[in-house]
Amino acid sequence: MNELLSALKQSARVWQGHQPVHTSQPAESTGYQALDNQLGGLGWPRGALSECLLDTPGIGELHLLLPLMQRLTHSGKTVFWLNPPHIPYAPALVREGVDLDQVVVIHTQDSGDFLWTLENCLRSPVTGLVMAWPGKLALRDVRRLQLAAEAGSNVCVLFRERCHAAQNSPAALRLELQPDANQCLHVQILKRRGSWPGQHCELPLPHRAGLAAAETSRVAKGPWPRPAR
Amino acid sequence: MLWLHLHFPQLLLDHLRRSRQQDAALVIVDASGQKVLQACAQASSQGVQPGMRLKTALSLVADLAMVRTDPQQEARVLQDQARWLYRCVAHITLVPPDGLLAEIGSLQKLYGGLPAVWETIEQGLNERHLTAWLGIGHTPLAARLIARTGKGECSADQGHMQRLLDQLLLSAAEFDAQACTRLQRLGLNTLSDLFALPAAELARRLGPKILAHSQKIQGTRPDPQMPWQPPHRFRQQADFAEDIEHSQGLLFPLQRILIELEEDLCWRQQETDSLNVLLCYRYTEPTRLHIRTSGPEHRAEAFLNLIRLRFEQQPLQAPVVSLVLLVKRFIGREAASGQDLLGETPDMNEAWHTLISRLQARLGDGALQQLVPHADHRPEQAWASADVQRKQRKANAAENPLPCRPLWLMRKPQPLHTKPQAWFAGPERISGGWWDGQRVQRDYYIAQLPSGQLAWVFRDASQGWHIHGWFG
Repeated sequence: MNELLSALKQSARVWQGHQPVHTSQPAESTGYQALDNQLGGLGWPRGALSECLLDTPGIGELHLLLPLMQRLTHSGKTVFWLNPPHIPYAPALVREGVDLDQVVVIHTQDSGDFLWTLENCLRSPVTGLVMAWPGKLALRDVRRLQLAAEAGSNVCVLFRERCHAAQNSPAALRLELQPDANQCLHVQILKRRGSWPGQHCELPLPHRAGLAAAETSRVAKGPWPRPAR
Repeated sequence: MLWLHLHFPQLLLDHLRRSRQQDAALVIVDASGQKVLQACAQASSQGVQPGMRLKTALSLVADLAMVRTDPQQEARVLQDQARWLYRCVAHITLVPPDGLLAEIGSLQKLYGGLPAVWETIEQGLNERHLTAWLGIGHTPLAARLIARTGKGECSADQGHMQRLLDQLLLSAAEFDAQACTRLQRLGLNTLSDLFALPAAELARRLGPKILAHSQKIQGTRPDPQMPWQPPHRFRQQADFAEDIEHSQGLLFPLQRILIELEEDLCWRQQETDSLNVLLCYRYTEPTRLHIRTSGPEHRAEAFLNLIRLRFEQQPLQAPVVSLVLLVKRFIGREAASGQDLLGETPDMNEAWHTLISRLQARLGDGALQQLVPHADHRPEQAWASADVQRKQRKANAAENPLPCRPLWLMRKPQPLHTKPQAWFAGPERISGGWWDGQRVQRDYYIAQLPSGQLAWVFRDASQGWHIHGWFG
C-alpha cells in the first residue's frame, strides 16, 4: 500500500496542496530558463497534453517552442504541424535552424480526421512534437487526446483561444499567453500537474523580429521628396 | 525429355471457391446458360453432374449458385496457375483452356528423383486447393492424353506409358471430329490400332494431318513447345459467385491475394510502394483505388491495414462482382537498417513509413506536405510544398542571406486596417517577378499592432498597406 502511495506521489497523480513535490515526470526543457524555473525546472511534459491559450498569432507563440523544435529535428524526431492557421514559412524556419526534412504539415478536412490524425501521431515513436490548432474541441475529445498522449512519449501542444481558459481541461500543462510591452511574451501558468498554478513570467522575445532588446525604431524616415505629378 | 501435364478439370470452379467464405453448392454453366459444365463436390453429392441440363440441376438443388463460363477469365486463371508453378519448374507451356505443360526431365537431378518432383507439384496443388490430374509422357501430347484420362502415375517407365496410350480410345485422343469418324469407320478403336498401321499408307489414305498427330504422340515427329515467361507485374483477380455488398466482405479475398503478393515479392526479392485495386460492378464503371505506401513494403498485413482504412473512407458504390489487384511498380529490396541483431529495438525508419502511409491512406495524398525553401526574392515564391519523403539526413548549414522573415506567412496578404503602434525596421524593398508575370513591388516593414502582434507589413505600388506575416 505504501509503495503504491509513494509511486502515485512520485508520478504526481495525487495532488498534495501543502507540499510541492519534486516529481520525476519526463519532460523536455523549454529552452527559456525563466519559464523552466516556473515549471519546476522541468519544461514541456512528455507523454501528456499541453495547452497554449492565446488570442491572436504573432505574439511569439512559435518562438516559445522554437528551441524544442530545433533540438528535436536535429535529433531525428519528426515535428508535425496539424492544421496551422497560416503557412509555416520555410525560409524563416531554416534561418532559425530547424531541419525542414523533419517537419511535416498536415491539413485535415473535418474534426473526425483531425482527432484520428493527432492520435496516430501521438502514438508513433517517430514523433517528437505535435503542434495542433484544433479550433473547437469538446471536453471528451481533449480527454481522448490526453489518453493518446499518455500512450506515446512526445510533446503535444494544442493552441486554443483564450476564451477556453475558464473551462477545465485534462491537459497536464496550461499556459495563457499574452503580449506585453517591449515585444515580451507574458506567460501565465493556469495549470500544472502536481503543483500550484498561478506563476507567471515574462519572456523577452524581440529577437523574433531581428530586433535588439531595447532598440528604438530603425525605420528610415522621410521627408521624402514628393513625386512630381 | 520428360513432360508433365497438369489437367485442371474444374479450374474455374476452384478459382471461384477460393474467394468464397461459405461453402454452398456451385456450378459452372456454359455460355448459353443451358448446360452444367463443372459441379463442385457439394453439388455433385446432391446429384448434379457435368453435362446435365441446368433446369434439372436447379430442380435437384434449389439454392444452386451458378457462374457462366468465360474464356477470357479461364485464360487468366490458367496464367495464375502458371505463375506459381514457375517457382518449381522453369520450362512451362500454357495449353489453353485448362492445361499446363511442364518439362520435368531436367529437374530430376535438382529435386533428387522423379517422385520428389511429383510430390513438390502435388503439394503446391494442395496448398491452393486445386483439382488437377497429372500425367507424365515422353512427348508433350502423350503426357496430355495420359493426364486427361486421369490415370497418370509417377513413373517414367516407357512400357507403362506405351500400355496406357495403346489402350486409349481414339475418341479421347483429340483427333478432330471428322477424322475420328473416318477412323472408326475403318474399324480402328484404340490408339494401338492406329500405331500398327504403316506411316506411308496412313498419310496416303487418311491425310497428312492424322499422321502428324499420331507421330507427335509417338515422338517420331518434333513438337516444339514455346516456353512461357512470367509477366513483369502482379495481377490477381477474385471473382465472386454472389455479389459482395459490404467492404468487410472484400477483405477476406483481399487478404488471400495479398498473402500471395507477399509470397511473390519474396520470391522476386522485391518490394512495392503502390497497389492498384479495381472494384468491378455489374452495371457501372469500376472504381479504381490507388493505395500508396510511403516507402517500399512487402508485408500483406501492412497493405491490408492501408486498404481497410481506405475502405472505411470510401463506401462501396454498388455490389462488387470482382476485385482485381494489380502491382506494376517493383523496387529492389534493401536490408532493414537500424535494427539490432535480435530485432528488439523498433526500426524508426519503418515506424516512420507506417505512420506516414496510414495518414496518407486516410487523409488523401495532398493533405501531408513538407516545406522546402525556394530561391526567390518574392515572399510567396520563397517556399514550396513537397510530397513527404524520408530523406537521409544531411548537414545543410547553408547560410541564409535573407534578412529576418516571419515564421507565419499569410496565405494571402490581408489589408491593414488599424494604425500600427510602433515601427521597427524597414523599408526592405522587394521588387521582382517581371519575368513570369507575377510582378511584386513592395516595401516591407516590421510593425507592432495595438493588439501586441508583431506584423510584417508592406506597402505596394498602389500605396495600399497590407499584412503579409506574423512574427510568431
